[in-house]
Amino acid sequence: MADPLTERLKQLIVETLHLEGIAPADIPDDEPLVGGGLSLDSIDALELVVRLEKEFGIKIASSEEARRALASVKALAAYIRERSDPPRPGP
Amino acid sequence: MADSSSPVKVAECGCITPFGDAAATHAALLRGACALRPVAVLGREGGQAVPLALLPGRSLDETVPPDWLGALRGLRRAIPDGDWGSPGRPVFVTGSNFGVGGLYALRRTGDPAFAAWGAPATCTERLRADLGWGPDVSIVSHACVSAHLGLLLASRAASAGLAEEALVLSFDFLSPFVAGGFHALKILNASFPAPYRLGEAGAIGLGDGAAFAVISRGRGAWALEAQCVYNEMHQFTANRGDGSGFDRCLDGVAAAARGRRVWFKGHGTGTLDAGRLEVAAAARAFPGAPVVGWKGSLGHTLGSCGLVELAVAIESVRSGRTPGTVGGAGAPMGENVALESFGNAGFDGVVCASNAFGGAHAAFLLCHA
Repeated sequence: MADPLTERLKQLIVETLHLEGIAPADIPDDEPLVGGGLSLDSIDALELVVRLEKEFGIKIASSEEARRALASVKALAAYIRERSDPPRPGP
Repeated sequence: MADSSSPVKVAECGCITPFGDAAATHAALLRGACALRPVAVLGREGGQAVPLALLPGRSLDETVPPDWLGALRGLRRAIPDGDWGSPGRPVFVTGSNFGVGGLYALRRTGDPAFAAWGAPATCTERLRADLGWGPDVSIVSHACVSAHLGLLLASRAASAGLAEEALVLSFDFLSPFVAGGFHALKILNASFPAPYRLGEAGAIGLGDGAAFAVISRGRGAWALEAQCVYNEMHQFTANRGDGSGFDRCLDGVAAAARGRRVWFKGHGTGTLDAGRLEVAAAARAFPGAPVVGWKGSLGHTLGSCGLVELAVAIESVRSGRTPGTVGGAGAPMGENVALESFGNAGFDGVVCASNAFGGAHAAFLLCHA
């Protein structure tokens, strides 16, 4: 079963970077986001980081941290899970 | 593009940094002093405290007229009289940002007075009038290699007989717009820069800086024996991973340095990838040359860095002592990185290099004339 966070991230990548002709499902979980098949460059990475920070309430402090977070969609999902606000406990 | 024909001379050169003039800056670097201080990235609007080096008495926030105008007037007093801007005595004004902070202040405040200094053309025209120069003033701006480009154009003008002497003025003063921009790029943050040091993450500092050089075909103690500029046009904020962009530029100067012992004043902002590539490229082009970088103390003075650091390099040769690489802890990126100051009397010259966004590279070889 598809991971909702991973699916959301793929959708967000396509939307934020205006990737024409690429559907979210076309993005492999393990492929490098920068320097991989999507041909994203350093400015694309920055644009993505800004969007991720807004959507998930995280703060990426440096370009190196951004590179690690964007190693792949799978890596990004793990990064966000570690750093975003924990879910509120149920009643 | 390499230019090693008809070498010209640096007849006069000077700078101002938060430490003072070139001699004071050189002395501070020898002491290992750091001009960088934590400053709120957006000035009075706050934000994260980031390492900035402002001239004494300067605020990061924009003023009208700019509060850095006094610093340029002070630098003007160090420039020899010479009817600058008249035929045969052109001026090349270089920098990254000019008064761009004023445009942001205009946007924020709505005060039209900020517009007067905001754009390079209006800023330069006001400076020209304020500093008493004639109309032959050109603007050169290409991010952090601006000063090198200005030197190259001035050199060509002198070499071709189009100028008796040419003046290059380079300046960059910080503002919330500039600091905020680098902060948004995630390379300016709370960490202080550690140029040419290995680490988990890189970081830069930014600094105020201004400098001048008089380029002459005839007089001067220092010869610009080779100059090279190259743009690898790879990515806006990243270099080719194989370092070939650095190689292409440095190779253009290495030929002129062959058989001579040189030291290498690098760009070294504190970013990791570019630092590693630069150190490796310097080792390939100039085997055995000690590599130093001073931005860990002065901060990156952006478009003016090439000329500010030339002034310090000249002071280093004049005094016989080169300041080591200031800033940070951790292992150096290569054996060629000089962390400590060293005597330079046995060297034949210095290679000064700068690099810029968009993959621009520039370097020159400076030797005794």
